[in-house]
Amino acid sequence: MPAVGRRFMSNLELTVPTNYSWTKPVPANERRVSIVSTAAVSRRGDKPFSWLAKDSRTIHKTDRDLVMTHVAVEFDRSAWQQDLNTIIPLDRLEEMAADGEIASVADEHYSFMGAADPVTMEKSARAVAAQMKEEGVNTVFLIPI
Amino acid sequence: MGKPNDPEFQKKVIRAAFELLEASRGPVIEDFPEIIPVKEGRMGYALPPELVLSVSDIGDVDVILSEVGNEMEALRPDYAAAIAARGRTTVGASGLAIEEFAPFVASFLDGQIPKSPRKGMPAIPLLKLVVEDLEAYYTETRTHRDSIDDLELMGEWFWEKTKAGRLLLLLEAVSLASKNKVMLQIVEMSLMAPRFWSEGPLPGTSAAGW
Repeated sequence: MPAVGRRFMSNLELTVPTNYSWTKPVPANERRVSIVSTAAVSRRGDKPFSWLAKDSRTIHKTDRDLVMTHVAVEFDRSAWQQDLNTIIPLDRLEEMAADGEIASVADEHYSFMGAADPVTMEKSARAVAAQMKEEGVNTVFLIPI
Repeated sequence: MGKPNDPEFQKKVIRAAFELLEASRGPVIEDFPEIIPVKEGRMGYALPPELVLSVSDIGDVDVILSEVGNEMEALRPDYAAAIAARGRTTVGASGLAIEEFAPFVASFLDGQIPKSPRKGMPAIPLLKLVVEDLEAYYTETRTHRDSIDDLELMGEWFWEKTKAGRLLLLLEAVSLASKNKVMLQIVEMSLMAPRFWSEGPLPGTSAAGW
């Protein structure tokens, strides 16, 4: 790996979870799935993410007119430009629901700015979790970028 | 999340992720067994360190704008075809019209920070979105028109061969010479031109931001 990227990554602190619960999942065909992406994706016209945003954006399962305002430019975006399922696989989950592999796709999905420190997102994360509970989500698909 | 336009591969990735939920204890971390190769561990194109312009390369801004405008106009039918085929575009995060991208970028070339045309968003954060919109206009067009699925080839074309790429390298040169801290930061931290994976920092910077 080239020097600039290597130096940056080698200085990152690895968060080691110490206080977690391991919950037995529901059977696959009972899963109601919601996506959480860190790709800073939002609906066209929504407020763009700021560079170190702590907040989130909500994407409805039928939304396809999405844009990305992630601060980093170093990651290849051509796959996302060609097929949004590489970032937010809503079509794939719908197909899996239609085939009975999962129960359903949640109405709402969520996006954060992956360049920001997750610790600063706690308030937003709790709000998202509350919305998911209200909607009956029992499986969260975290997709980092 | 797998490969674009390959639903079966994408579902394989999703199923593999969901299978991790069946583990009797955790946390669990697993590598997906199929690797999509990338060059030298890079996840994007990297500008060659020697490809750096300076403010003395700017010359006549009207000529630059005319060249970029002609280039963009020539791509427009294929861009429209790409949208028609995909049913979507990622261009437009800035909220500016396509014709406004290059003039807005060029308005920074005299070293001054222009007024933002977008209410509620300062000029420099808007500039970053416009830069990405401009690149997306080009890359969406070519991935569709020429079926290119090679990030190195695409980056090399946009940044090293097109007039729009040259415009952005001139903007980088202006940023590098700028006394504005945020303008300097966006080049120091590779937030505008792809230098993060380059073999060494942008000359004239320490890459201290990283």
